[in-house]
Amino acid sequence: MTRSRLVVISSLAVVGLGVAGALGALYLDPARAAVGPLPPEGLALPADTRFVMGFDVHRFVASPFYARFGKGQGQSRPPAFTELEEKTGLNPERDVDRIVVAGRAATKGQEGGLLIVSGRFDRTKLSRAIETETKGVTSKNHEGTTIYLFREGAASGARAAAFLDDDTLILGSAESVEATVTNHARGEAPLRSNAGLMALLETVKPGATFWAVGDQSVLSRLPLRIPAPGGEGAVSIPPLKSVVVTGELDPLVALEMTGEASDAKAAQNLADVVRGFVALASLQASQRPELKELASAVSVTTEATRVHVNLRLPYELLDSLQPRRPVAEGSPALR
Amino acid sequence: MSERDTSRPVPFARAVRAMFDLTLEGMVWSRRSVLMAFLLGLPIVFAIVYRTVLAAHLPPRVTPFDFYGGIVVFYYLRFVVPLAALFYATALVADEVDGKTLTYLLTRPVRRESILAGKFAAYVATTLSLSLPAVVVTFFVLMTARGRAGLGGAVPDLLRDLGVLALALLAYGALFTLMGVLLKRPVIPGLLFLFIWEFMANLPGYLPRFTLTAYLRSLIRHRPAEEGISEIFGQVLPTALCLEVLGGAVLVCLAAAAWIFSTREYVMDQ
Repeated sequence: MTRSRLVVISSLAVVGLGVAGALGALYLDPARAAVGPLPPEGLALPADTRFVMGFDVHRFVASPFYARFGKGQGQSRPPAFTELEEKTGLNPERDVDRIVVAGRAATKGQEGGLLIVSGRFDRTKLSRAIETETKGVTSKNHEGTTIYLFREGAASGARAAAFLDDDTLILGSAESVEATVTNHARGEAPLRSNAGLMALLETVKPGATFWAVGDQSVLSRLPLRIPAPGGEGAVSIPPLKSVVVTGELDPLVALEMTGEASDAKAAQNLADVVRGFVALASLQASQRPELKELASAVSVTTEATRVHVNLRLPYELLDSLQPRRPVAEGSPALR
Repeated sequence: MSERDTSRPVPFARAVRAMFDLTLEGMVWSRRSVLMAFLLGLPIVFAIVYRTVLAAHLPPRVTPFDFYGGIVVFYYLRFVVPLAALFYATALVADEVDGKTLTYLLTRPVRRESILAGKFAAYVATTLSLSLPAVVVTFFVLMTARGRAGLGGAVPDLLRDLGVLALALLAYGALFTLMGVLLKRPVIPGLLFLFIWEFMANLPGYLPRFTLTAYLRSLIRHRPAEEGISEIFGQVLPTALCLEVLGGAVLVCLAAAAWIFSTREYVMDQ
């Protein structure tokens, strides 16, 4: 073998090893789930689910975003969490791994949503807390699973909670919880029949701190006209068929949004609307220098019927965009 | 042992292989390769500096993945990969003409197309060997800077980037091979193509479709924020169209280069 061939083969071996290692990392990635970022228990969601979103609680809690905005001023953790831990033994910052929020078709009303909470629970203490601390709670056995029912007879519909297994708690409307428990108990995965949502979930990068996918029926509730920049008149927003959002919070707030419009022209219009707002922010940079950075933090591209918006917001920029608090009298700053 | 029929040219595949070996030996061990290895490997240094200095001491404004994406888009795809293709591919024939060694090749009992095919194969092997390992090492140095979190999610982007960079080397290589057989001094027109013509990718409407870089950029998923007109008119072309156009460009350019090379009369200056 010539020296040159040896160089080529060695180089390609480095590439081969790298690719093999990368595929191994992809296969062994703890964030790898059943479909895209959706955990296996999420497939038990009803087939008419219209949007799904998820949070990686550990990464959220460890992020600078939570440190700045999630906790109360000068507190180590939100007061509600302290109270929750006292009553149920559950420390959300420590015990919850992941939260998945799902919403169903408009016919199920706004109360048709579901929360799937994965983590490590003291099931006995939590069950006792539900039974003793909540007024008017009843329970029933459904497909071998205890379902706790709240607010039965309320106009907005009964709410329910149940443990799918030791590590998974679901909360939401009684009908949705029952449907999910049934599917889980029978080993069914009705969400797989929702081809549109499955296709959207496949596009989400696993490992994101938070993500969301939604189809047309969810987006149809959004306003199609928004106030124009400068406050005069209104700007029409082309309707979207689907939206996919992924985000990271460390070391900066990074958002990637992909919206699918009805046609290429509508996508271009939507991109122009976003660019218009960014351009307006740039124009105001002479009065507020921090807005100049905001303009360069946004990237908008179109791909046939899709619009990609890429947002990168450093925490310093977020701080500068916060309204300044008036300095209290007698504070050290005035002395 | 059977003797070859000397009245016929050497079989195409054997001639290509012999030409590949000969060209590879001269291409890998050349000053051009030292320079290109330095330029293509420079992002590894950037990645190490980011990991050891920038990430630790400066306010974290760019995530490792964003930094990697910026390197792939701005450094590799827009700058150094087209430049590597220019310097290697235009020289495939031009160097033989300048060195007055083309006569020795053309007087061999081989088809001229096999000479070009062997040289192009050597170009592809050399440039892939120099560029792809650097991309892989840069990826791992950056993506493990904050532990293994997020590494798995970025793997599809790495695979896509490797594919797109290989396609970029093929597409630019085919074009510059054509320029190399067509023009006596192909480097200056090649530089003008890269840094003037390809700028059209930043313009609105259909103009980006007359460039190679617009199709290549559309195939990768990194979308770093930009300022200026490229941001205002940013558009991503459909993947199928990009693959068709780039594949077509490679075939057309290589076929045209082979036809010109096999029919052209080369007169060596004395």
